[in-house]
Amino acid sequence: MNRDGSLVRLEDVHKWFGRNHVLRGITLSVAPGEVLVVIGPSGSGKSTLLRCINLLEEPTRGRVWFEGRDITDVRTDLNEVRTHIGIVFQAFNLFPHKTALENITLALTKVLKMRPEEARERAMEELRHVGLEHKADSYPGQLSGGQQQRVAIARALAMRPKLMLFDEVTSALDPELIGEVLEVMRRLAEEGMTMIVVTHEMGFAREVGTRVVFLDEGVILEEGRPEEIFSRPRHERTRQFLSRVLEPLH
Amino acid sequence: MARTSVREMRVLAAEERGLVALGRATLSAGAASVALVLGGTLGVVVAHVLATRRTDVYERIVAGLRADTTALLLVAGAALGATALVTGWWGYRRMPTKGSREAAISGALLGLQAVVYGGLLLAFRAGNPERFAFHFLNFDVLRGSFGQFLTGAKNTMLLATLGEAGGIAIGLMLSLLALSRRMVVRAPARAYINFFRGTPLIWQLSIFWFGIRIGLNLTITGFQAAVLVFAMNTGAYAAEVFRAGIQSIERGQLEAARGLGMSYFQAMWYAIIPQAVRRVIPPLMNEFVILIKDTALILVLGLTQSELDLYNVASQGYSASFNATFFVAAALGYLAVTLPLIRAVNVLERRLRSGLVGVAGA
Repeated sequence: MNRDGSLVRLEDVHKWFGRNHVLRGITLSVAPGEVLVVIGPSGSGKSTLLRCINLLEEPTRGRVWFEGRDITDVRTDLNEVRTHIGIVFQAFNLFPHKTALENITLALTKVLKMRPEEARERAMEELRHVGLEHKADSYPGQLSGGQQQRVAIARALAMRPKLMLFDEVTSALDPELIGEVLEVMRRLAEEGMTMIVVTHEMGFAREVGTRVVFLDEGVILEEGRPEEIFSRPRHERTRQFLSRVLEPLH
Repeated sequence: MARTSVREMRVLAAEERGLVALGRATLSAGAASVALVLGGTLGVVVAHVLATRRTDVYERIVAGLRADTTALLLVAGAALGATALVTGWWGYRRMPTKGSREAAISGALLGLQAVVYGGLLLAFRAGNPERFAFHFLNFDVLRGSFGQFLTGAKNTMLLATLGEAGGIAIGLMLSLLALSRRMVVRAPARAYINFFRGTPLIWQLSIFWFGIRIGLNLTITGFQAAVLVFAMNTGAYAAEVFRAGIQSIERGQLEAARGLGMSYFQAMWYAIIPQAVRRVIPPLMNEFVILIKDTALILVLGLTQSELDLYNVASQGYSASFNATFFVAAALGYLAVTLPLIRAVNVLERRLRSGLVGVAGA
């Protein structure tokens, strides 16, 4: 727990890609049990922000605190920290040469050093959690996009993380497959998981999110409870963005 | 009106049927012309070789080539080929169906080949086939060297297999170093790779054998030295193959592994390299085929009789007899090994392309 009672805290985080200033001073705290939804136009830095939290991207400036530790400190064992932060990607990124079960047990045995039977048991438990225990021996190529993404979620959950990061996890899915993935995430939120969700699914944001952050050009332009952001946005940019994504046909 | 149009269609259909038949005939003529030229000549020569045992094999081959039957077959085959070529050339645009058009084109191309092969064989026959056959097809001189060729083939495969295995191990390590984000790690790996890719293998063998071995006071046999140098050389090429293979794996795979808390080397070893290896099997097998042929370069090392490879067995036979048929035999030996390997690479590449090896997220 950080000093302000949050699980994760970003302090003045900046990220440059060459001359491209993608994040311009992000300060943000997420308390245990919160479901923080990050919305914003494409190119606003949502994914980069998320990847700065488990340091898949290293912030150029600023600090990230996780459970009272400054994980941007070079002395931090990042591999250990990452076992407590699950991440799910837009492109699933399952290992194609391993079955659904092996995808989950790999890190359990190699990183957490669990015994194979123990890892297998936990993997089956997580597959059951996402409703895919019957697909344990299937390879990713034999699963639908929605099923692959659910396996990816199970793979992250099997590590028993304290925080889950979701990076546009439904953007690569066919429309009819989005629901099953959102359903898993909704259940996870109900179980009290702390989540940071980058998404374009406004319905999900409104319904499941406890707080919404609107990111624009690398800064947090607005944040608040979902009903505030969606019904009474204070900024013109937020209003424009919401009108575009909520009524794309008009 | 209606009646005329139906009649017109019938007339057209009859004409079309004629063209389709012509296309088919062109294909048959083209195939027959090639069969006459190549198969006919081969048949006559084989018949002559088998007919008598009184003269040397090469003399019987020449007799077969020189036979009047051969001349007749060659001229007839070339003429039939020329007919198919002209007919196909004239007719392929007029063919009414895709099948007949293809038949006409294939027939014309086969006919062209019959003309070319027939012309070459006639020219060869009119030249000095005795001398050629005496030097290159004099299979009688090989009598008694079969055992030596077998040893040579065994040594060639042993050198190439051990060299390739060592090269794969060296190459995999080098590729990981060459992919490091630290310059101080990358630089020596790059230097090694560029040096071994940039100098001739025969130079590397001689410098190692006459320089490094003596300088380091190593007590190794020429055979061991050859395996070592082949492994080091193949390692440089395999490193580039592995590097390309590893770089072809989507970035998300490494991120997923790191995101689960794996170290860089765990992520590489369990997630990236198993996928990369599948993709680099065909190019590595190509390297193997190249190395099989390059084993001939051990001629610069002083090797004992039992250590010689296929090429140097042939070379020794040539020195003893001044007859190049030994090299023809060596070539047949190489082809016996490399052709199945090349075929295997092609099959494997097709299977990899057709997606039997899955790709993430696709």
